Amino acid sequence: MRLLEADGLTKSFFNGDLETVVLKGIDLILEPGEMVALQGPSGSGKSTLLNILGLLMQPTDGTLSFMGERVSGLSEKQLSAIRNRHFGFVFQFHNLLPDFTAVENVAFPAAAPAGGISKALRERAKSLLERVDLSDRLDYAANRLSGGQKQRVAVARALMNRPQLVFADEPTGSLDQENGTKVMQLLREINREDKTTFLISTHDPDIAAICDRQINVVDGRIA
Amino acid sequence: MLFALRVAFRYLLANRVQTGLLIGGVALSVIVFVFITALIKGLAIFLTVQTTGQISHVDLEPPRRVAAIQSADDRFAAQPVSTFQRQQILGWQQVVQQSEGLQHVVAVVPEISGNGFLVRGAAVAPIALQGVDPSQIDAIIPISSYIIDGSSDLSSGGLVIGADLADDLGLKAGVPVLLRSDRGVERLIPITGIFRAGLANLDRRVAYLSLATARPLADLPNGVTSIAIRLDDPEKSFQVAEQLQAQLPLKVTAWQEKNRNLEEALEAQNRTGIFIQAFAMVAIMISIASALLLTSVRRRSEIGIMRSFGISRSFVASVFVFQGVIIGFLASLLGAAIGYRLCLFLVERFVAPDGSPLLPIAPTEGGYVLVITLTIAGSALAAILPARAAARLDPVEAIQQ
Repeated sequence: MRLLEADGLTKSFFNGDLETVVLKGIDLILEPGEMVALQGPSGSGKSTLLNILGLLMQPTDGTLSFMGERVSGLSEKQLSAIRNRHFGFVFQFHNLLPDFTAVENVAFPAAAPAGGISKALRERAKSLLERVDLSDRLDYAANRLSGGQKQRVAVARALMNRPQLVFADEPTGSLDQENGTKVMQLLREINREDKTTFLISTHDPDIAAICDRQINVVDGRIA
Repeated sequence: MLFALRVAFRYLLANRVQTGLLIGGVALSVIVFVFITALIKGLAIFLTVQTTGQISHVDLEPPRRVAAIQSADDRFAAQPVSTFQRQQILGWQQVVQQSEGLQHVVAVVPEISGNGFLVRGAAVAPIALQGVDPSQIDAIIPISSYIIDGSSDLSSGGLVIGADLADDLGLKAGVPVLLRSDRGVERLIPITGIFRAGLANLDRRVAYLSLATARPLADLPNGVTSIAIRLDDPEKSFQVAEQLQAQLPLKVTAWQEKNRNLEEALEAQNRTGIFIQAFAMVAIMISIASALLLTSVRRRSEIGIMRSFGISRSFVASVFVFQGVIIGFLASLLGAAIGYRLCLFLVERFVAPDGSPLLPIAPTEGGYVLVITLTIAGSALAAILPARAAARLDPVEAIQQ
């Protein structure tokens, strides 16, 4: 079964009467377990596409199906539930919650619906932080971590609910070469070991080369 | 929900200065609320006690006589009915006995009231005669405690008058004075005592004398003009008046009916207090709403990231409502405690030489349960606006910012 399928996605933004068409009919398929790079120059529409595929934004037209079920047109509550149970997100800027520790940040996506951080959730968060090589930073407040460490915590947080699909928007964009490489190696490792699907938005050809396949977005279309 | 509460606590602790200032500001409004409530209640109690402490709580009088024009003959020539005959309660001993048997009644005082003049040489002063049993001179007003010259003993047939009246006529204890009643009866009576109650009407107008002395002056050989009743709780006056009215063919009046001005003043004061309390509550709500709105703006990206990984809008909203409730709870307790201590301090600090408080504040009447409940509820309400704003944030926009 296909994990994610987009058919004829379009997206327009309006500024008064002025319409800007960002996506002009995107057809796309993601298979389980693959790691795909979404490439394109700035302004090509890849971030908008990533947000629509991640159910953070509604398309103007077209359909989107996840695991064979049509998801376009679902309510905000239903979309939130899908995002929480099946998707993970890694953003360019880690976007950690600065007043919480590394363990709490990782556990958060599961703790909020569960009503708290149970022992089991804490153990899961700890094991994920060990996996991203941060076992010595478990109870560090997020704002005390370095940039690379923060992004690794963000990766661990994206994996907390055992997602089928992780969206990464320029995950190394705010990191130096060394930390960027480390994070990409980590994502690849997780992809291979857990069979987690990754869709990574990037304009870095080296990162795209690590992925199984590349999708190029140019002027709102797949080239 | 418990996790939302924990997140709310964490957010408040993360900005301790802002949280401290916010709690301080809300607590200040609570202090104002408590102080105003304690002051208004205290003033009401003070005025009521002052008023009821110097008056009878229920009065019994003969039924009101209605002046009428009586037709003299078929030609409709009219002549007025005489109203000169004094109204009196004849079987007063039985009325006294009956009244004393009622609950809350502590004293029943038969009185002979009338008007007259005190004449000394060329000086003449109008007076209100108050004939009472000598043993009951203090039953309604503690005259004995106000004596500044002589004594309050009426049994020897003398007069006890107010200090202002004594000054006007140049009288002092032991000096005889001519009393002319409104019945045209004159007697030379010695002054037994002079009092100063601090009430102008009493100190300048009233002259106490025994029932026995008053009878010939008022031309009432058997009856009394009224019966004054004092209660252990002035608030029970209507209840007692109702019971008496059902049993007696007399005019029964509760003290509130004779002091409408006091009731109206207390009500006006109460209304003013409600306005001030409402303003304090609005100040509380505005400060909490504005501070939490600021927080929701500052935490936009965090809220966006939460929403991106599927945290529900209701969770985000509840984090903000909980912050409001926590602030309201802590600030109301703090404000109530400080407000109580402040009221207590003012009452204890500012006292008259006799030890009585100068400020009519009732520290225990600060409306504590009300202010705590209103503050918590108001804080939760005030947090709804920022909570809704936070919950409706577009995650994409918030993350990009």
